[in-house]
Amino acid sequence: MSETSKEEIIIGQLRGILEESSVKDQDWDAFCAATTIEDIGLDSLTILDLLYDIEEVIGVHLEAKQVLKISTVGEIVSLLIAEGA
Amino acid sequence: MKEIRYFIEYCLVRLILFLFDALPYRFACMIGIGAGTIYWWIDRKRQKVAVANILKSGVETDPKKARVIAKKAVHSMAILLVESLRSNEFLEGDKMYDHLTFDIQPDVMAALEDPDKGLIIASGHFGNWEVAGHYISRFKPVAGITRKMNNPRVEKLVKQRKSRYRFRPIPKHDSNTGRFLEILDEKEILALLFDQHAGSYGLMVPFFGHPAVTFKTVAMLHLVTRTPLCFASCKRVGPMKFELKSSNLIQVKRSGNKEEDLRNILTQLNRDLENVIREDPTQYLWAHRRWRDDD
Repeated sequence: MSETSKEEIIIGQLRGILEESSVKDQDWDAFCAATTIEDIGLDSLTILDLLYDIEEVIGVHLEAKQVLKISTVGEIVSLLIAEGA
Repeated sequence: MKEIRYFIEYCLVRLILFLFDALPYRFACMIGIGAGTIYWWIDRKRQKVAVANILKSGVETDPKKARVIAKKAVHSMAILLVESLRSNEFLEGDKMYDHLTFDIQPDVMAALEDPDKGLIIASGHFGNWEVAGHYISRFKPVAGITRKMNNPRVEKLVKQRKSRYRFRPIPKHDSNTGRFLEILDEKEILALLFDQHAGSYGLMVPFFGHPAVTFKTVAMLHLVTRTPLCFASCKRVGPMKFELKSSNLIQVKRSGNKEEDLRNILTQLNRDLENVIREDPTQYLWAHRRWRDDD
């Protein structure tokens, strides 16, 4: 599978996770690698929820500390690919 | 102007500390109880909240007796303050063992003694949680959320009094998950009081049989970082005497259903807290609105 299609699949999975748990009005069709953490209303507490869901849906355990440093969806995707997603 | 005010406040606090240090412990407690009684009569709103909470919890069904418990609970918080001011005196070195008895479960003790493991301790506003923190800081540094004093001079004074105690205060405004994760990453102890109304980052779980929005933080940190988690309490059993107790480590295997996992952990924590409160309801902070009508 090419890196691009892998990225697209992961972005789709992340969108699914976030769309389900989000309480914020959000244009999910605009959800892409450039979307920022702030755009989707994630804060340091809700990131813990995201990490739980990523592990269940994508099957990759990410270190919470790493995720707290990122600012865009694309960076999460890169982290996931680096961890073997 | 601010500087002058800070200085006057600092002098007053120093004077109070000097008097408290010089007074025999029992006398200092009597003054604390007196101040608590004045507070009880002034703050009618909290008085009503406390009595209503006691009745709702079912630990007492007679309103008159509930009032007695609520008043004693205010005294208990005043004594906690005195104990905290005097804690260095009786928790220093091996003197601590004359004042504390322990009922710490072996798996929790193993986690405390393991330098490669962090530990999350969940507790409530019961007994004297500061004494518990002081004791466990003998194993590894303990971090917990504290309210920073507005007055920097007083803040410095308070820190100096606690210098021998390996406590890492996390100011309330800085209590984000990143800070908690750093602590756990350094294999230290994170001690959090989870029994206040959690607002938006909470989950509705029963507390004394009634739904209460409970903080998810300790449970989420446990599920995501796999750091061991336990409940602990420190009950006052006499003047300057305490019983420190822990649950076993809480082992919840991830089911894939986050809400269910959280519910299991938080229900267990609330139940552990209920059990210690039932042992002595006069040592619990009943004045907090844990159950809110608008939930």
